[in-house]
Amino acid sequence: GGYPASGPAANPNSPGMASPYSGAAPAAAPFGAPAPSASQHNASFNDLQTVDMIQSMPPPVNDLDLPPPPLAVPIEQTITRSEYAQASPDYFRSTLNVIPSSPSLLKKSKLPLALVVRPFIGLRDSDEQIPLIEDMCIARCRRCRAYINPFAQYTKGDYRWQCNICGCANDVPQNFDWDVQSSKTKNRWERSELNYGIVDYVANSDYLARPPQPPTYVFLIDVSVNAVHNGMVNCVAETLRQTLHSLPNSDNCTRVAFIAVDGALNYFQFPLPNPLKPDERQDARMLVVSDLEDPFLPTNSGTLVNLTECMPVIERFLESLPSLFANTYSSNSAMGSALKASLGLVKSIGGKVVCITSSLPSVGLGKLQPRDERKHLGQKSEHQLLQPANNFYKSFAVDCNKAQVTVDMFLVSNNYQDVATLSNLPKYTAGSTFFYPGWSAKKHSDSLKLQAELGGHLSQELGFEGMFRARATTGLHPSQFSGHFFVRSSDLMTFPTVSRHHSYVIELNLDETIKKPYVTIQGAFLYTSSHTERRIRVMTMQVPVSDQLSAVYASADQQAIAMWFAHTASEKALQSGFDAAHELINTRIAEIFKVFRTDVLNVHTGTSSTLSLSSNLMLLPLLAYALKKNVGLRRNNQILSDIRANALDLLQTLPMPNLIKLLYPEFYALHELPDEAGLPDENGNIVLPQRLNLTGEVLQSHGLYLLDDGQVMFIWVGNDVVPNLLMDAFGVETLDEIPSGKYEMPVAEDRELNCRIRNLINASRQRNDTVYFPSLYFVHQNCDQSLKLWVAALLVEDRSESDPTYYQYLTTIRDNLAAK
Amino acid sequence: MNFEEYEDADGVRLAWNCFPSSKVEATRAVVPVSALYTPLREKQDLRVLQYEPVTCRASCRAVLNPFCQVIPREKVWVCPFCKEKNQLPSHYRDISQNSLPFELESAASTVEYELSRPASHPPVFVFVVDLCQDEENLAALRDALIVVVSLLPSNALVGLVTFGAMAQVYELGYDKCSKTYVFRGSTDYTSKQINDMLGLGSAQTVAQPVNGPSAAPVPAPTSALERFLVPAEKCEFQITQAIESLRPDPWEVPAEHRPARCTGVAMSIAISMLGRLIPNTGARIMLFAAGAPTEGPGMVVGRALREPLRSHHDIESDTASHHGKATKFYDSLAKRVSSNGHAVDIFVGCYDQVGLHEMQNLANYTGGVIVLNDAFTTSIFKQSLQRVFAIDDQGSMIMGFNATFDVFTAEELKVSGVIGTCISNQRKTRHVSDTQIGAGGTSQWRVCSITPSHTFGVYFELTQAGQNTQQQFHQNGQFPSTVIQFLTHYQHSSGANRLRVTTVIRSLVPGGDPALAKSFDQEAAAVLMSRIAVYKVEKDESSSSDLLKWSDRMLIKLCQRFADYRKGDPQSFRLAQNFALYPQFMYHLRRSQFMNVFNNSPDETAFYRHTLNREDLTNTMIMIQPTLMSFKLDEEPEPVLLDSVSLQPDCILLLDTFFHILIWHGSTIAQWRKAGYQDQPEYANLKALLEAPRAEAALLLVDRFPLPRFIDTDEGASQARFLLSKLNPTGTHKRTPGLGQGGIVLTDDVNLQAFMKHLQEVAVKTTA
Ligand SMILES: [Zn+2]
Ligand SMILES: [Zn+2]
Repeated sequence: GGYPASGPAANPNSPGMASPYSGAAPAAAPFGAPAPSASQHNASFNDLQTVDMIQSMPPPVNDLDLPPPPLAVPIEQTITRSEYAQASPDYFRSTLNVIPSSPSLLKKSKLPLALVVRPFIGLRDSDEQIPLIEDMCIARCRRCRAYINPFAQYTKGDYRWQCNICGCANDVPQNFDWDVQSSKTKNRWERSELNYGIVDYVANSDYLARPPQPPTYVFLIDVSVNAVHNGMVNCVAETLRQTLHSLPNSDNCTRVAFIAVDGALNYFQFPLPNPLKPDERQDARMLVVSDLEDPFLPTNSGTLVNLTECMPVIERFLESLPSLFANTYSSNSAMGSALKASLGLVKSIGGKVVCITSSLPSVGLGKLQPRDERKHLGQKSEHQLLQPANNFYKSFAVDCNKAQVTVDMFLVSNNYQDVATLSNLPKYTAGSTFFYPGWSAKKHSDSLKLQAELGGHLSQELGFEGMFRARATTGLHPSQFSGHFFVRSSDLMTFPTVSRHHSYVIELNLDETIKKPYVTIQGAFLYTSSHTERRIRVMTMQVPVSDQLSAVYASADQQAIAMWFAHTASEKALQSGFDAAHELINTRIAEIFKVFRTDVLNVHTGTSSTLSLSSNLMLLPLLAYALKKNVGLRRNNQILSDIRANALDLLQTLPMPNLIKLLYPEFYALHELPDEAGLPDENGNIVLPQRLNLTGEVLQSHGLYLLDDGQVMFIWVGNDVVPNLLMDAFGVETLDEIPSGKYEMPVAEDRELNCRIRNLINASRQRNDTVYFPSLYFVHQNCDQSLKLWVAALLVEDRSESDPTYYQYLTTIRDNLAAK
Repeated sequence: MNFEEYEDADGVRLAWNCFPSSKVEATRAVVPVSALYTPLREKQDLRVLQYEPVTCRASCRAVLNPFCQVIPREKVWVCPFCKEKNQLPSHYRDISQNSLPFELESAASTVEYELSRPASHPPVFVFVVDLCQDEENLAALRDALIVVVSLLPSNALVGLVTFGAMAQVYELGYDKCSKTYVFRGSTDYTSKQINDMLGLGSAQTVAQPVNGPSAAPVPAPTSALERFLVPAEKCEFQITQAIESLRPDPWEVPAEHRPARCTGVAMSIAISMLGRLIPNTGARIMLFAAGAPTEGPGMVVGRALREPLRSHHDIESDTASHHGKATKFYDSLAKRVSSNGHAVDIFVGCYDQVGLHEMQNLANYTGGVIVLNDAFTTSIFKQSLQRVFAIDDQGSMIMGFNATFDVFTAEELKVSGVIGTCISNQRKTRHVSDTQIGAGGTSQWRVCSITPSHTFGVYFELTQAGQNTQQQFHQNGQFPSTVIQFLTHYQHSSGANRLRVTTVIRSLVPGGDPALAKSFDQEAAAVLMSRIAVYKVEKDESSSSDLLKWSDRMLIKLCQRFADYRKGDPQSFRLAQNFALYPQFMYHLRRSQFMNVFNNSPDETAFYRHTLNREDLTNTMIMIQPTLMSFKLDEEPEPVLLDSVSLQPDCILLLDTFFHILIWHGSTIAQWRKAGYQDQPEYANLKALLEAPRAEAALLLVDRFPLPRFIDTDEGASQARFLLSKLNPTGTHKRTPGLGQGGIVLTDDVNLQAFMKHLQEVAVKTTA
């Protein structure tokens, strides 16, 4: 379809804006096709394809959906000739799919060497298809404890296997060829661990420090005046009530506790049904503890209860919760003390403490005060606002880890909440922070978002007492870890519980020359499933080694590198400030261009009008550039520190697809959707249209656009949209009938376009790999200026207050290189 | 008038009904000038005046009474206490001898005023319930409390605090669900902390929402009082439900250990909360204790069972490790609660001790009651508890609250102190003597809970002025007189504030005049002296043996002063009729459980002494010298001597010690009863005999508080020891008493005859 302009002023490019694009861009030639199979490839590396960045403008952003350069490992390298021998990059990938053979080469390349780990790609087990090994026969290297894998070598008539991590020779376990259940010989070559790059083991008791504990949730709900008046209590109580049945509870052993928090800790005691009078109505009792300095448990029974047994009384309790505090006048919050108390409640079991608050902790332990933001915003000292204001939150995180407790924060605020300090607990306990600035239940979409995210977060299947360790062939070892977890004994990442919507970045150190043609990198993730079963997920990849920079460059993974940038620059910003973070990005990108020019292409002389990079990295500068403009790192003196802290938190936790989308939002023209877009394909997935480049250049005043970064979505309505487009899209006749700002999409069932737009919006909201529920904003001529500025800031290829256009950015790099 | 008539008219019994006119004479009289006063004693013809009393100038405050001189001509009245003239109020200008306002009539020596300003709140009752008890005991307590709630006047306010390992305060005014505030049992919270934690601190009550003007208006906080104290009528459902939901403390008790029980914290919370909510208005905090405090401030014993509860011996030898600290803690609570105007009652439902000895001043200082029971399942407990809430003909509870008790004297007398269940209000006026007996140094005391049986021993000292008055007035042939006024302000259970005014006038007699001896009230004197004795031993002023020596010395001195005898001739020793029983009272007193702690636990001792200090003359006399009735076939029952000679095989004895009522069957009767003769028609007379003492006992129980323990026993049975211990062991004395320095030293088990004999010998021998 396509809608015509409504009037004569149909020129898409307004005269004031100079287009950076001249002429048609040459078709980029990336490795667009699916990865060639290893047999075809046979030990040769990926070809280096050089592109001119300037000539390739605008950047081919639809290539962001492509997979990374393949791992060029011949299938003969695997004993079983399995085509699934490599771990899927969705779970486990390296920034470099060819590893430099020496430390000096790595250093020279200026490319980072890091792993991107995402233990789970879906919120539920059913979203993943990983082979499960249940016979408790787990073959591991006796020296380095690596797990047997498809790339291990077999010797002595297959009775021994040689560890491909440390080289040690190991006996094959006795039951490796024996099916205990059927008492028959088993064909070992069919074993999943020899065929698949990712396998799950059911672990035996050797892997248990203690018996699996029941899934346990403590809900800390702010019930102070703030939380009551903005409607949070009501909304949360209703959400929890609806979510009770979808909490992980497959064995009916899940336990829950509720503490309502104001100036005191209001515990709730749930009586068990009276076996003699099963129909007798039992009600929760409120136990108030106001001793905040050293909070204690007011009773030894009925506060942490079996969810299934107490379901009716808990449901009634949650129904009544808003009324219990409707007339409150307590404006204080003892959330710090409540956290301490909840740890006391579950310290022998572990579990999740879910803290939902609208207030700054103002009394008791860990109390916080509003910080003077105005003094720091836009100043060199701004990053100080992002550091924890109270040591309680550091030491308490350590206590939580010892007790296998994760803290999640839902910060539902209309005031300063010191996200920087409070998000510290999730950060070091493998939890999540969800932030709702300016939230009010009066806004339907605010309630919708909190309900969806709280409900979604709680409904995901959880792992408990998780541990992750990465091992790599001698010469390579993990050195830096980034994400939400706690590092124990230098290289063991621990997770009291595992949020299934997080990713992690592990930098690898190369400390000696590698003489082998391949290295093996293995990650093992040990956890207790929601079904209280101990599991190990083992992920293995075999990576070729080369002494050629061109090979290294040709196999570099631009998205993984962008993710490394996001983690590293965020940490830099927290530690040293925003200038330092920008400096890090600018320098590294410039160096990469320089290395590519001088050391890969061997161009050493003269001026050049070209800026070259290998085609597989051609979107890296754009992602790095977009990273600088992300709210977390953007140079701007208007960004409140809570917003900043939350954005940095997202940069360090989001899985790759979500992170890429956050950095470079998806942008679609709704007024000219292809026929199939917005409708389900044969698999039921909604077909997405082509992305637009994020620049005002593409905006047409008669157009209608959707901009989506995974956290927020915008419907941009041009000034000159024709009435029938309005009617088809929204079922209204004039623009005046569409409110601006936060608003849900009107439903017009009889309008196909309306349905397709809603399909696109729902597809983004109902992903099975994230719990974020983007709010929808309507932007048009009538909306307020701040909203327009917000959208403008997301058009990252355009000029902003502090940064030039992307085109200028590239040309400046080119000119600087040429000048040398 | 005889002494009983005085008592009926004014509730006053004086040891001396004439006063010696000089300090020296008073000292020689041995028994101090003193009064037993029962302020709210029931008085059939009591007039309650519905107007404000006329009082003397502000520096005096004495109330116009029949003994004031009124000069109608000058329109003034002369205050007998300060001798100042006061203008009569304008509406009294027309009075004459024939038309006097009631308070000036001679019948108005005791009168009551209903004051115009009523109490700011109806009476408050806070139950403080021990949860460390088995379900059976607790169930009985729950039932009893639910009955109590139904007995309360509909406007009475009720609160509930429970304790075990922790203490919980019920927010009964919260109707959305059961809501309690929980306090750690091991922390010694300050009053401020407690009130802050209950949301009663000043900061919280004025809290404003932090959001801006856009926020919805905040409803005014429910009145703090209504949160924790709810009218009995409104909260019947809530409080009944709260009481019914009480269950034994769930915290695990390790083997060989006592449960964690934080009685001290619970009491501290109840006291602090009421102090904040309703200072200076009537309230009773009723503690129901089922065991000894083992946790936090006020713990009396550790949790391990191998550590026994302290005995009298441990306390005396200073080896009771928690005793001193606990006593100090409860004493400070007692001072706090009394200064708030609130009383503490202690009901014990436990075979073992509960630390009553340490916490006794909570009741002793406030006029609360102590009721000791083996369990809450006993009917003694249930009935005693209900008896607290008895109502009068007008439907008002028979109790007063938040009383102050003033004693005014004319210049001839000053007040040395009061012994009773009250505390000094530190009002040092011109009526106050320098010498102290009991709670002295003040002429005003506080009694937070007062009933018609609350009786105070008031001790006086003669001043030099007595002698002057004597000389001044002796000329006209009449003894001069002096006036004492007792003012009792209290909150009536109807909510009114009332003032009971009792004014007594007595003669001052010169030294050597026989009128003094004739005015001796030996019963009043015995009670007043026993209170001094108990006070001395309680305040550690003397050891038990020193006290016996003191008691004997006082008796000897009294006999030397007032008996008729020839020096050196014991046979000539005679006591006037109104002195004759006094030595016998003293004999029984020195053998009683009040003086003698042997065989009693410290808790029991505290209970006995508390009751002695609270009750009126009649009851106290039973405590000092129990009554014994004998029942025989075909004979009228008759009182018999409290003596082993009364133990006859063919009689039934009914002993009333006030604390115990015992029916003892002589061996013959016991055999008959065992054989079941009483069930045969031809032995109806035996049946009647067996029933007679029970009927008599039932009569004794009618007004008794607390209910006594009832013992039914036979000659030779082990329970009979209760009887035997009270009897004078005629003919069984084992040793000859020896003479000690300054008095006789007698063993406990000496018999009355020997005691009297030696008293006579010593009295005629020793020079006074
Ligand atoms: Zn190895
Ligand atoms: Zn006067």
